[in-house]
Amino acid sequence: MGIIRRRSGSVSTTTVSLPAMTLSYIALFAWAFVVLFPLYWLAITSLKTPLDVNGGPFYIPWRDFQPNLDSWHYIFVDLGEDTFRPYLNTVVVGLTSTAITVILGSMAAYGLVRMRYRVTLGAIASFAVGLAVTVALLIQRWALPLAALAGLALFVLLLQTVARRSKRAVGNDDIAFWMISQRMLPPVAVVIPIYIFFQQLQLLDTWGALIISYVASHLPIVVWLMRDYFQSVPLELEESAAIDGASPYRIFRSIVLPLAVPGLVATFLFVLVFAWNEYLIALFLTSANAQTLPLTVAAQNATRGPQWWYMSVLILIMIGPVIAMAIALERFIARGLLVGAVKG
Amino acid sequence: MNRVLARALVLMVGVGLIAACTSGSNNTSSNNKFSGTTIRVVTFTGPQIAEPLQRRAPDFEKLTGAKVQVITVPFSDLYQKVLTDFATKTNSYDATVFDPQWMGDYVPPGYLEDLSDRVKNDSAIQWNDIAPFFRDFSATFKGKIYTIPLDGDFQMVYYRTDLLQKDGLKPPETWDDYVSIAQHFQGKDLNGDGKADYGSCMAMKRSAQSYWMIISIAAALLQSQGTKQGTFFSTDNMQPLINNPAMARALGIYKTLSRLGPPDQLNNDVGDSRGLFVTGRCALSLDWGDIGPLAVDKTQSKVIDKVGAVILPGSKQVLDRSSGQLADCNSTLCPYATNGVNHSPFAAFGGWSGAVNKAAPTKVKDAAYAFLSYMSQPAQSGVDVTIGKTGFNPYRLSHFNNLKNWLDSGMSEQAAKDYLGAIQTSLQSPNMVLDLRIPQSAFYEGTALDTAIAQFLAGELSANQTMAQITDQWNKKTDEVGRPAQLDAYKASLSVTK
Amino acid sequence: MSTLASSRVLRAASASWRPVAARLDRSAGLVFILPAVLVILGFSIFPLLASLYVSLSRLGFSEGGVELKFVGFDNYAKLLFGIDRPHFLGISGPLTPIGIAILTAVYALFAFLLYRYVRGPGLTVVGLVGRVLATVIGAALVWLIVDTVLTSGRPGTLAVTLIYVGADVSVQYLLGLGLALLVVQRLPGRRFFRVVFLLPMMITPVGVAYLFRMLTDTSKGPLYPVWAHFGLTDVSWVTNPWGARLAVMIGDVWQWTPFIFIVMLAAIETLPQELNEAAVVDGANRWQVFWRITFPQILPATSTVVLIRLIEGFKIIDLPNVLTNGGPGTATESLTLHAYTIWRALDIGGSAAVAYMLLIVVTFVGIAYVNLFRRRVAALA
Repeated sequence: MGIIRRRSGSVSTTTVSLPAMTLSYIALFAWAFVVLFPLYWLAITSLKTPLDVNGGPFYIPWRDFQPNLDSWHYIFVDLGEDTFRPYLNTVVVGLTSTAITVILGSMAAYGLVRMRYRVTLGAIASFAVGLAVTVALLIQRWALPLAALAGLALFVLLLQTVARRSKRAVGNDDIAFWMISQRMLPPVAVVIPIYIFFQQLQLLDTWGALIISYVASHLPIVVWLMRDYFQSVPLELEESAAIDGASPYRIFRSIVLPLAVPGLVATFLFVLVFAWNEYLIALFLTSANAQTLPLTVAAQNATRGPQWWYMSVLILIMIGPVIAMAIALERFIARGLLVGAVKG
Repeated sequence: MNRVLARALVLMVGVGLIAACTSGSNNTSSNNKFSGTTIRVVTFTGPQIAEPLQRRAPDFEKLTGAKVQVITVPFSDLYQKVLTDFATKTNSYDATVFDPQWMGDYVPPGYLEDLSDRVKNDSAIQWNDIAPFFRDFSATFKGKIYTIPLDGDFQMVYYRTDLLQKDGLKPPETWDDYVSIAQHFQGKDLNGDGKADYGSCMAMKRSAQSYWMIISIAAALLQSQGTKQGTFFSTDNMQPLINNPAMARALGIYKTLSRLGPPDQLNNDVGDSRGLFVTGRCALSLDWGDIGPLAVDKTQSKVIDKVGAVILPGSKQVLDRSSGQLADCNSTLCPYATNGVNHSPFAAFGGWSGAVNKAAPTKVKDAAYAFLSYMSQPAQSGVDVTIGKTGFNPYRLSHFNNLKNWLDSGMSEQAAKDYLGAIQTSLQSPNMVLDLRIPQSAFYEGTALDTAIAQFLAGELSANQTMAQITDQWNKKTDEVGRPAQLDAYKASLSVTK
Repeated sequence: MSTLASSRVLRAASASWRPVAARLDRSAGLVFILPAVLVILGFSIFPLLASLYVSLSRLGFSEGGVELKFVGFDNYAKLLFGIDRPHFLGISGPLTPIGIAILTAVYALFAFLLYRYVRGPGLTVVGLVGRVLATVIGAALVWLIVDTVLTSGRPGTLAVTLIYVGADVSVQYLLGLGLALLVVQRLPGRRFFRVVFLLPMMITPVGVAYLFRMLTDTSKGPLYPVWAHFGLTDVSWVTNPWGARLAVMIGDVWQWTPFIFIVMLAAIETLPQELNEAAVVDGANRWQVFWRITFPQILPATSTVVLIRLIEGFKIIDLPNVLTNGGPGTATESLTLHAYTIWRALDIGGSAAVAYMLLIVVTFVGIAYVNLFRRRVAALA
């Protein structure tokens, strides 16, 4: 499938005129300043003593205040293990959950874009009935496996009989909306049930609990974002490949994915950021072993009030790896476009 | 080959036997009384509180063989995390160092181990060295001991000795004094940097410490007849003591003070107010014991040796509960008044204390108790309370005897005597105020009271509306939980037996 | 399951494939979507049902542990009619002329849309019922905002959250799109800007909140010389209701513009170049190229990213929590913060009730948005 060639893209191929360029640069640098100044402030706060922080705004190291590495020393040396362990947990959980989410989510997105699903209302109703029966049995103190089995059996039974007759169905768009609707409820409402869920599975305070939670929470975002990117891949390419005898999997892997790389990278970065920075679920599902860095950041607000100097160090080391990944992956976002493949 | 193998086997077996023998003999020595046990203690992320626990854990292990694992959680979420853990029977923690106010929620469902017998049989802890208030009220619930005090928390007023001396003012004795001193200094430059500074710095931010501040002010007008009288509810019928002239006056004082501080004061929590005070920008502040050591910390303070402390200001008028009106202090109404002023030192928060999870295995519970006792014993705590970073404030009579530790920490003799004197006077007062520790105290104080006060300070509610809103919400919650049960719990917390 | 265009082709070709591969291909549709569906379904059912039940009950402690007592709709009643009503809905004041004018305009618009639907083709009972319901809810929300904000009343957490979302998402979109268009040009150094503009989103939300708390501090924050220059050092903008809300909104815009920026950037970068070139050859200027060619093509990505930001935006909590803890008073408190504050005091029933009210509002906004914009956008593409 080597017919696809790319050329870097831009909105206008003519060279940008000087006034337009000047204006653009002014705007770009203005926003860059807005972004970078708070980060600069973070960096110098991490080099200040508490006296410097509370005494008033000091801007330039060596001129306004003496920078020192006490806070950095505290975080890396004094806390040592207590900084390293959350760091490792964050990296592992973040990368693993993001990789899984992007893979599963892209597949689902492709399915929603190129295939036609129909889930009949009857099937949904059967599922609801099966679920209701399971819940009712659980309340009657049946054992979980037994109750689940009973519900499942009822569901299958109804599916084969009653549901067959139902004609009305929900389609791709509804499935997609159902997925994104899972993100509407604020985490605070579900955190205790999720805690109990993993407690029953005996997965509390493990990487597994966090990874599963993050995959499930972030799948809807991947699905929605990738749907649009996949849609912009021309259908003709896939059709011609299918005519040549390629399986859907082959088409997905060899044609669609490479063309959607910019979107894929952008989505990967997001989901990584979401998983990397998540607080509430991490707070509840971990205690001694699997704590992640956002907890350490929030913990700097102790009874004494926020300890800005430590917090700045922690925030900076948190964004370090993510920025590194962004720099490494950023080139893929600008991959560009097809050349001649459609017409040719 | 076989001979080599045989010799290796013999060697291994021999080593194994020796190891077994020696470990067997070690079991009998007291150095390894708890060897093999791990105690998981949960508290909030330090360095306060967690640091001394972590620092002394290796010593404790050398003494008893028990390993101590300190687990930390962000402060604002410690309550939920521990309670969820206990309530769902996950039991990932064997002990916790927490806010004893939470006993109201933890004891009735049976999550905490009753430590009364262990304390009785433990001479090393020197239980009677602990100040009576913490011994008899803070550590107990319904007369049984559930927590070991590790820290003494109550609020005091701090003032700039240099500023008051220069202007010939005495430290505030009543809240009206406090207000007039604050007015005197508001807008003047108090630290020589050319910028106008502030009369009084208090933590008035919502969902922070503001509700303790208002109680500190109101308590002087509400409680005058000893700890058992209580400050929050009537011990007869659980009616909130909010909608009355005493509270109205306290609200007025609080509002006035909100204007005699930094412009951001409504958004300042205790970290901000302390920062402002120790960088010299305030003449007065209301706070727990932390300002004492903070003020002598060279990396943080610009007012070393310029800080004095005094017992919480009082009031010359208190609420006469039978008439519901404010009345002048006299010997029947204010039996504990000094100079005609009723002081009610407020043990806000209660002081970090250690408790043991009832669901832990017995050996672990014993080990956990031993660790908490170790932390509390005078030899350890006497040093820890002088180090500001530990977050432990004095709570034992012996903490005041040895001035040397305090001087070593950097306080001048005068400052140390002043600071300790204020604490001692507060500790010895029979009219100390016990913080609320009935079930759902977090709602009564942290949600209902705190939100209403924040709205009052922001001008969203008038004083009358504030008092009415708090009363309504408190009554509704009391009725939801069950008025008789709450009344019982309230009286139990005050050790009132009628 | 049927695939689009290729099903006939596949069936024709399947005769020559091995049976397993053929079955796998026929079930490709299922294979693609089932893992995601199962994960989401499996993980979300129990928490959803459990929290729904919790919202209908109250937590209590008794000898022997905790118990959940069923109380029916009491938690919801407290929010809508009872003791928490001023906190949740706010306090309404007498309508001002501006308020009346806005209400009239908006209601007229709703009436017009409804009328057009009734008179147009494709009128169905379900559709009509849905639209009437949506109109009623929409009208109620608009009335709530107008009556609590533009009058002497005070907005509750619901109104404040709606204002946050409306203002924030609009500004974020305009900024994000503008930045993406700027960066897409062939300017030297664009890679630098691409990375820099991503930074705010990468900081953990709690961290951003603390960062902004440092920045808005008028006595020790870095903007002190600016305040001093304007003589505003004694004015505290975080103790003024709208000042504090503005601080929250600025923080939110700063933090989430990168999200829209990068999605739009990726979308624009994948657009085919030929159309642009042809248009320029035909004499179109840059604005026309953008508005007529680029913008319609990125509408799908736009609608997706705006929907995601809407849904996420409703859950805003860290900024108001850390900046002002919801203060002054309750001025900056969002719905999620409202739920969180109650939850911290163990009223998990009340907290779940607030969360479900939020869910209802967001579902309404989501469905309305999807029906109004996405269907049309997808039809265009």
